[in-house]
Amino acid sequence: MIKNIDASVVGTRQPRLDGPEKVSGRALFTDDVRPAGMLHGKILRSRYKHARILKLDTSKAERLPGVKAVITAVDATGIYATQNEPAICGDVTRYIGEELAAVAAIDEATAAKALELIDVEYEVLPSVTTIKESLEPGAAQVDPGIPGNIVSDNTDSYGETDEAFAHADLVFEDKFVTRPTHNLFAEYHVCVADFSRPDKLDIWTPTQTAYLFQHSFARSFKLSLNQVRIVHLHTGGAFSGRGSVRPHHYIAALLSRKAQRPVKVFSSGDEEFLICRTLGDNEYKLRTAVNRDGIVKAIDVEATLDGGGQGHALGYFGWMVGLCMSWIMDLEGIRFRRQVVLTNQRPNYLGHGGMMIGTNAGLMQQLQRIAATLNMDPVDLLLKNAIEAGHHGMTGEHFASCGLKECLEKVRDASGWKDKYGKLPKWHGIGVSMGSMAAGARGAFKHDTSAAMVKVGEDGLVTVYTGIPDMGQGTHTTMAIIAAEVLGIRAQNVQVVAGDTDITPVDVGAFAQRGTIMTGNAVKNAATEAREQLAKNAAEYLGVAEADLEFAGGHIYVSGSEIDLSVQGDDSILPGTRSAKNAEANQAAVASSTESDGKPTSVSFAKIAYGSLHSKEGRFVMGRGFYTTPVDFGTAAWSFGAQIAEVKVDPETGEVNVLKVWVAHDCGRAINPLAIEGQIDGQVYSAMSQVLYEECETDEGQYLNPSRLEYKMPRTYEMPDVEYFIVESNDPYGPFGAKEVGEGPIVVAGGAIAAAVSNAIDAFLPEIPMTPYKVWREITKNEKRRRGEAA
Amino acid sequence: MAKHIMCLTVNGDLHEFAVDDTDTLLDVIRNQVGFTGTKRGCTTGSCGVCTINNDRGESILACLTHALEWNGEAITTIEGLEANSELDAIQAAFVEFGAVQCGFCTPGVIMSAKALLNKYPNPTEEQINEGMAGVLCRCTGHIKVKEAIRNDFRLRQAKSGVRR
Repeated sequence: MIKNIDASVVGTRQPRLDGPEKVSGRALFTDDVRPAGMLHGKILRSRYKHARILKLDTSKAERLPGVKAVITAVDATGIYATQNEPAICGDVTRYIGEELAAVAAIDEATAAKALELIDVEYEVLPSVTTIKESLEPGAAQVDPGIPGNIVSDNTDSYGETDEAFAHADLVFEDKFVTRPTHNLFAEYHVCVADFSRPDKLDIWTPTQTAYLFQHSFARSFKLSLNQVRIVHLHTGGAFSGRGSVRPHHYIAALLSRKAQRPVKVFSSGDEEFLICRTLGDNEYKLRTAVNRDGIVKAIDVEATLDGGGQGHALGYFGWMVGLCMSWIMDLEGIRFRRQVVLTNQRPNYLGHGGMMIGTNAGLMQQLQRIAATLNMDPVDLLLKNAIEAGHHGMTGEHFASCGLKECLEKVRDASGWKDKYGKLPKWHGIGVSMGSMAAGARGAFKHDTSAAMVKVGEDGLVTVYTGIPDMGQGTHTTMAIIAAEVLGIRAQNVQVVAGDTDITPVDVGAFAQRGTIMTGNAVKNAATEAREQLAKNAAEYLGVAEADLEFAGGHIYVSGSEIDLSVQGDDSILPGTRSAKNAEANQAAVASSTESDGKPTSVSFAKIAYGSLHSKEGRFVMGRGFYTTPVDFGTAAWSFGAQIAEVKVDPETGEVNVLKVWVAHDCGRAINPLAIEGQIDGQVYSAMSQVLYEECETDEGQYLNPSRLEYKMPRTYEMPDVEYFIVESNDPYGPFGAKEVGEGPIVVAGGAIAAAVSNAIDAFLPEIPMTPYKVWREITKNEKRRRGEAA
Repeated sequence: MAKHIMCLTVNGDLHEFAVDDTDTLLDVIRNQVGFTGTKRGCTTGSCGVCTINNDRGESILACLTHALEWNGEAITTIEGLEANSELDAIQAAFVEFGAVQCGFCTPGVIMSAKALLNKYPNPTEEQINEGMAGVLCRCTGHIKVKEAIRNDFRLRQAKSGVRR
């Protein structure tokens, strides 16, 4: 008998459960869906950045054999995508790529041919393509309803910002800009819609939130919620880019309604860049008030955000961007102003890492300069200001768990910071960064609830039903682990059913880092209810009270009794197979532990699951659970992290080579360390990519690099080594103490890499991405300045 | 436009079908043969999700390859790697080492890795970097993909019991 071995599933390295399906090519994505009679849709897009549509004649396209439906703005009256975008533009187009008409045909070639037959006459209007042009007096008006082109101007101010600035020893000010990016997930935008019956709309599409999609479609087409079915099979990445219904989704549904057949709309490579809704050209002014002892007193950020042709929702989300700076430091005041300006560019929204990669890249460069000015070590400066558990934030946040300081110490020690900072060879640099991310956000949506169901089959295998999509982050495996932990079985004996609103319970979705904490708690609650149902039968069987039972290793056993947890109880009933065929026959093979008097002290999980259904009572075990955040607004738990990056810069070309990144992340509790490492890897990649490479280049509103060849992202040979340190602060609200790892590390990584480049060339880099030319330009400016001073 | 009849051996099975001049291998694999593991991405050869192998085990971008030119040839897609319902060592390594996240690029990444390992059974870091440069994976940042490839050799040895 082995006692006290740790049989917990939480904290073990679990390969993702859908791994075998994905590596074998069996995993289905939306483009693999082909309902009977499916047509192919193509969209006619505006060629001009600002023009009045004088004529749009579709008659020739309609007559082309094989064309089954042609739609224009008339067919889409009153249907708007997020940010007030008409699904199809009817009168004045405000950016290149805006939807003007669409065709459904028997194949893609016919649909493409039909688009060429649509006759459009434009009257070109004056336009603005940059923030600067847009704000000039007398500038062309992007939206007739918005004089001056400023669509929103909001300021959030907490604490005593002006007071702190007035009394601080020193004030630092820097300006920087970030350039437009693309989320660039592997699976392009695609939607299959079947609206051939008026009372049911079936949508297949990759998404972060089936729930909000269901609401948007129901509202737009005046259907009840259960008349809209959103199916998301596997989703090929999201990176903050699949949170809302876009024109192409509505167009697929409209085409299907008109053609009375299912329609697929698949975006081509260059189209992909026009229809993404992510970060635009953003300008920031960052002021920081600091005392000579290194205490940061207040931060004041003024942002001017390029909303593009719409951008109505952008200002709303900005509140978190400023606020997140106050989550890491004990400030006296913070103010964040963001002005959203319309331009004749693609409508912009949030990107991977919110806007926070850019803002943190600015802040960490500035804090590094502050440390140098004060003759302090930057890590010491961050440690001096970093908050601790129990801290109360300026908007009433209570940080119940916080491992920020531990994260800083971990990366400082592992990277050899003390021997490197200020001591590296010329053109080498090292930078430190810290950050925080909210897990869940009540107020960003109408509610923040996740629900789940846990079914225990009569063979002892468990099914979790959840509405949360897995876009690659591994949340379904996380949910299986959580259910397995509660029920004391292996994660492999849990399957997760998701991706169909006709089947799964409500879940706001996978954004705002709410998956692990919100859906995780819902699954935990549902599994707990199932466990209570099982405990009733197990207690009868073992002749003890329900409260005396423990669930682990596939066994249900009397607390305190000796049990060999190294032998899986659930395996013993189903040797080496998930098949339930022989479950009944195997019942006999189950050896129950017994005390010396012959009374059993344990029973296998599967036996009780079987026995519950086959008892006189005939109880089928099914648990339900839901969870919402305990706070009235915002968030109950925050992740924290610190990173150090080491880089080498080529002074001749300005090229940056990231050598290594040390990452410490306080995720609360590591449910699955393998998945956490994977999340960190991807975020270091994307942060490095955004800080050094990624930029949608435009000229007069026209995209110049709309492909993966020209839009630069890191290839294999450019990736640095990444060393991970998982810090566990055990949050009281998180399931088993877990918080988030979905977006925290990306913000921190951006700051560390930016600070390292800044350290290598001894200058503040005012433009992100820091492409070779821009780095070289700053090096040259620096050299000139030095020579000028010497002369 | 007249169609042409062509034949192609896909994962060991001979298929015959009619194609247009403009059809690519990606079109015929997905639409005629019906294997959907080979993914449609950029269709301009820049993302690598459509990577398959030719009969010499080299990688090919199916989206850029005209189907007709491959009349009578043999190819392997991701579905052809499994034998007797068992994953190939590189597929198993991808699962075990966390080299799979969203999974959309995974078939293409694995077929690229397969081609690399066919050429270099125990590749150096440089060979991995070069061999895998044609595929993009934002989820994993290539890090665990490289780890899986490094471990493929070890897994294969352990499985066969042969020391080289």
